[in-house]
Amino acid sequence: MRGALRPGARAGLVGGAVLVYLALVGMLVKFEELRLVGSQVTRGRLLLVLPPFAASFFAVRPRVIGGRVEQPGPGVALALGAVAGALVGAVGSVGLALVEAIGVERIRPVFVAVSPALVETLTFGRGAAAGAAILVVGGAALGAAGGIWRAIRHGLRRPVEVGLLTVVTLAMLQRIVPFMLDELRLERDWLYSRATRGLTWTGAVVVLVVATAAAAYVLDRRERRALAPAAEGRPEVRGWRRTALVTIAVVLAAALPQLAGSIVSEIMGTVGVFLLLALGLNIVTGYAGMLHLGFSAFFLIGAYAVALLTGANLVTAFGLVAPRFSADLNFYLALVLVVAIGAAVGALVAAPVLRLRGDYLAIVTLAFAQIAVILATSSWLQPITGGPQGLRDVTKAPLLGLEFRSAERFYYLVLAFCVLAVFVSWRLAWSRVGRAWNAMREDEQVADAMGVPTGRYKMLGFAIGGAIGALGGALFAVKVGTVQPGSFEIIQSITVLAVVILGGLGSVPGVVLGALVLLALPGLLSQLEEFRFLIYGAVLVAIMILRPQGLIPNVRRMRELREEERTQDAWQQIFAARQEREAAEEAAEAAP
Amino acid sequence: MSEEATTVRRLGRVERLPTRRIVLTALSLGVGAAVAYGSYRTLTLPAGARYSGSAWRDFLVLGIAQGAVYALIALGYTLVYGILRMINFAHGEVFMAGAFGSFFFADAWKESGFLDRRPLLAVLLLVLIAMAVSVTVAVLLERIAYRPLRGAPRLVPLITAIGASLFLQNTFRGLFGAQTRGYPKPRVLEGTWSILGIPVQRVQVIVLVVAGVALIALTLVVARTKTGKAMRAAAQDQEIASLMGIDVDRVIVTTFVVGGMLAGIAGVLFALTFGNISYFMGFAPGITAFTAAVLGGIGSIAGAAVGGLIIGVLQSVGPALLLTGIHVPSPFQLKDVVTFLILILVLLFRPGGILGTGEAEKV
Amino acid sequence: MEDRRPVLELRGVFTHYGLVSVLRDVNVEIYPGEMVCLLGGNASGKTTTLKTILGYVTPSQGEVLLDGEVVSGLPTREIVRRGVSMVPENRRLFPDMTVLENLELGAYLRTDRRKVAEDLERVLELFPRVRERLKQKAGTLSGGEQQMVAMGRALMADPKVLLMDEPSMGLAPVLVEQVFEIIRTIRGLGRTVFVVEQNANMALSIADRGYVLQTGQIVLADTAENLLNNPLMREAYLGEL
Ligand SMILES: Nc1ncnc2c1ncn2[C@@H]1O[C@H](COP(=O)(O)OP(=O)(O)OP(=O)(O)O)[C@@H](O)[C@H]1O
Ligand SMILES: [Mg+2]
Repeated sequence: MRGALRPGARAGLVGGAVLVYLALVGMLVKFEELRLVGSQVTRGRLLLVLPPFAASFFAVRPRVIGGRVEQPGPGVALALGAVAGALVGAVGSVGLALVEAIGVERIRPVFVAVSPALVETLTFGRGAAAGAAILVVGGAALGAAGGIWRAIRHGLRRPVEVGLLTVVTLAMLQRIVPFMLDELRLERDWLYSRATRGLTWTGAVVVLVVATAAAAYVLDRRERRALAPAAEGRPEVRGWRRTALVTIAVVLAAALPQLAGSIVSEIMGTVGVFLLLALGLNIVTGYAGMLHLGFSAFFLIGAYAVALLTGANLVTAFGLVAPRFSADLNFYLALVLVVAIGAAVGALVAAPVLRLRGDYLAIVTLAFAQIAVILATSSWLQPITGGPQGLRDVTKAPLLGLEFRSAERFYYLVLAFCVLAVFVSWRLAWSRVGRAWNAMREDEQVADAMGVPTGRYKMLGFAIGGAIGALGGALFAVKVGTVQPGSFEIIQSITVLAVVILGGLGSVPGVVLGALVLLALPGLLSQLEEFRFLIYGAVLVAIMILRPQGLIPNVRRMRELREEERTQDAWQQIFAARQEREAAEEAAEAAP
Repeated sequence: MSEEATTVRRLGRVERLPTRRIVLTALSLGVGAAVAYGSYRTLTLPAGARYSGSAWRDFLVLGIAQGAVYALIALGYTLVYGILRMINFAHGEVFMAGAFGSFFFADAWKESGFLDRRPLLAVLLLVLIAMAVSVTVAVLLERIAYRPLRGAPRLVPLITAIGASLFLQNTFRGLFGAQTRGYPKPRVLEGTWSILGIPVQRVQVIVLVVAGVALIALTLVVARTKTGKAMRAAAQDQEIASLMGIDVDRVIVTTFVVGGMLAGIAGVLFALTFGNISYFMGFAPGITAFTAAVLGGIGSIAGAAVGGLIIGVLQSVGPALLLTGIHVPSPFQLKDVVTFLILILVLLFRPGGILGTGEAEKV
Repeated sequence: MEDRRPVLELRGVFTHYGLVSVLRDVNVEIYPGEMVCLLGGNASGKTTTLKTILGYVTPSQGEVLLDGEVVSGLPTREIVRRGVSMVPENRRLFPDMTVLENLELGAYLRTDRRKVAEDLERVLELFPRVRERLKQKAGTLSGGEQQMVAMGRALMADPKVLLMDEPSMGLAPVLVEQVFEIIRTIRGLGRTVFVVEQNANMALSIADRGYVLQTGQIVLADTAENLLNNPLMREAYLGEL
């Protein structure tokens, strides 16, 4: 029995470490405020509940033992889960005891997040002893629940999980959704409480039920379809359903500013810009399989190029000055040039190092991006780039007398280009070029040997990706109105990479979803901002370990994975033939 | 792969060769000319605008000292690359962790006067603390982020490492705050000592001595001890190494431990040299050290040391020498450009590095 | 046979990679001093059998016994310590280490320095060509020389059972002859050898007994002589050619 509980103990200790981490890194306290459902469920408490639940969920996971999947039964699951959960609480209590013993004021100069508020949160305001008891007992209860939960059949569990996730998401979007409902003149008081700003209990239950039912329906269908043999043809354009989905998405996207107002439009404008970048990176990394770590360079190039070509000014100590080199072109003419520059730089930068192995190529792209930022910041190029202060008065992209000054209008401008980029991506995926990229990605040597000019196709990938990225940069400059090197640090490249990888490398819908999750959510969920990059980092690691194909995997790659390897075995054929013959002979002998 | 395919590929490469040669030759001539011109102009500036001889000497010494620190970090990249064939992008954060971990002790000891009373002991203890912190981070990194990915396609661990790097940076930011902090220095280490008649910053002397000792110790361990031999064997063929009875998982952990120790030492030396630390301090030295590892030949210990020194010197001498003469203002802003250009040029001309093999190139 | 205990035994071994079944109810017995071969086509599970013996994969059912003790479930290095060593497929030397270092690594787990030195001497007597190249990088040796070093490295462990995975693979016919000559010599030293081969003719010509593996199952087990004369086997060769 002791050995049997070991997974629980391990998971519990890990979960406890996570709890301590969340506390020390400052998340528990920073997240406390927001009320999600009623006045009882707050975001901080949700975060507090998560470690024991997750630990037990993990402890009870099915394992492959001796060629079979072994799933602990409900009794074992309960015990394991309770052990794990209680341990999480115990670790937390030990941490609390330590804090009490040393004293908050003495820890704080080192661990800045240790504060009276943190102790208050962890003890539920009831003093150390009671707090510790609550942590352990509550942990055990939550753990037991998590264990049982995992033991429930997948087909039942999944829909409820989706339902819960929907509730939490809606609750977190409390600054946006009620506003939208008002805008639509829909009754909202049953769903969102005016007092707590979060969901009402009634609302939460209704949402839970509806979302669970919907998820059950969809998941069931999908399961069945996955079991059926794969249909022929281009699955991405198959059927009216996809068309309908795309249409709905476009209509929704188009109506967004009307529905959601300018805060959301503002956020979505930024998301759109980054989506462009992500779509560009998706071509380089997702389609052609080359990791690009310096994609922000195109962002920078596009932004500076458009600023310089359309007559932006330098910020100097003596006021605004025209840069050393500049032009005063029409924005759309300039855009054509910018796209061309992006493509050219993309290809030229990559050309000399294409022969390098993937990871080295990645580091070189990073190096180029760093060079670009340093140069843009330097005093040397200051007469052109404006140095750290950069350029301002970037054009507002006037079109037929209309300026894209407001957040709503800018949103439409970006949306138009995003749709264009999505369209291009889609067409590319199924074109000859797309097939060549596929071959290259799967096995470059073989592709090379089959006569695919891999070097040329790689450059093409970099060029197209660069063009789209530069386009994003240009729009970013228009949106912000100023261009400063600080906006193009390496972190932007990694953000975009995280978007593409979370969504699913090579999957256009995935990239869109990735952008929404990683870029729109932090903007919409208050106070997440501070931990945004922490979360990006964790997402990158977690996705690579748990689900490298991303949220919405690329269809074609899925099929590649499903294909079984067939092996030829001469011995097997011969022995099988022989057995058949013997059987036939026996039958013949027995006959007369 | 079939015979035919190999032949086709070989033919393809032969065909490509000449253009590549021509471009590379032209490029090398161009780079050479630019370097020569820049240096010439700098060295022939009128007396008033010129750097004095002692200024050059100081650049050089600083370059060697920071190069020694880069070498220590570079070894971490090289060791891990050697055994896992992965660029441990988060190694810069391992280095940062050491510096940060020791900071709180340094700060407290400065306050209590211990740092000034027993400087040698204090610095030694700081180095040990930094090593412990860095090793902890490195080992956790391996255990949590990299071990589940053994045998995954190459880019997967790289992306993971990038994620881990971001995660670690922001973890330290969350734990200890975002501000840059001044790293205290024992008072004895202010000023200079005269070595062979040359005045050298005292901190730099310490840096060189500590780094030198660490390098020699590492070389001996890897070349002479059984653990070292196991490390080399596992670097060449993990499966066969385990067939010899070598515990490969343990060897990998050992590698991260050694890399972490060196990074921890580097963290303290770096903090003492430059005087401040922040959660973001790992990035630039990390990339620089990686460049040094590639320059020296990744997987090679001597290469990391040589590469580190070269990069260190080029960073401190290069911008002044090449750019002052052609009137580029504030040339030292561009020192990382020098690093990155070197990285790109090395990969172009000699992907295997100075002492390495053709590891970076495929086929 | 009653009084002799097999030095290596597989008892009803099933092996899976994840959920994929590779070995099914494999039973093998190898007695001290014997030379036994395991024959089978591509992907029949020969290498997997060796990996199972060495603990790279753990059998999902059944057990592997060494000298009567169950070793399945132990880590590879423990099984190696107890006296199993292998000449891997394609030789797989450590290319950047010297020949001497390669040989020394074969004795990595041994602590009896004096005996190791003696064994080194013995291996070098067996392969005089190798002695001339002790300081050379292993990667620069010819294929035949590499095979000798690989065998020497495995012998350096002073194993109770020596496993070989397709020693003839990738070698020119002349070298194949040579390799089997060496195996015969090793056998002559009284070593117990378990060799996996696709070159059944060669293998059976020097082995005492043989097993035939087909899609993870032993379908034939007999003395080498009987196997050579088995019509089924002959047919199989015709198929192979
Ligand atoms: N690590 C692995 N994961 C999954 N399947 C594997 C793995 N290794 C081998 N297999 C599968 O197990 C089966 C047997 O492989 P094994 O290497 O044992 O064959 P073999 O008889 O040695 O073949 P060969 O003569 O080609 O060396 C094959 O179908 C192979 O695809
Ligand atoms: Mg095999």
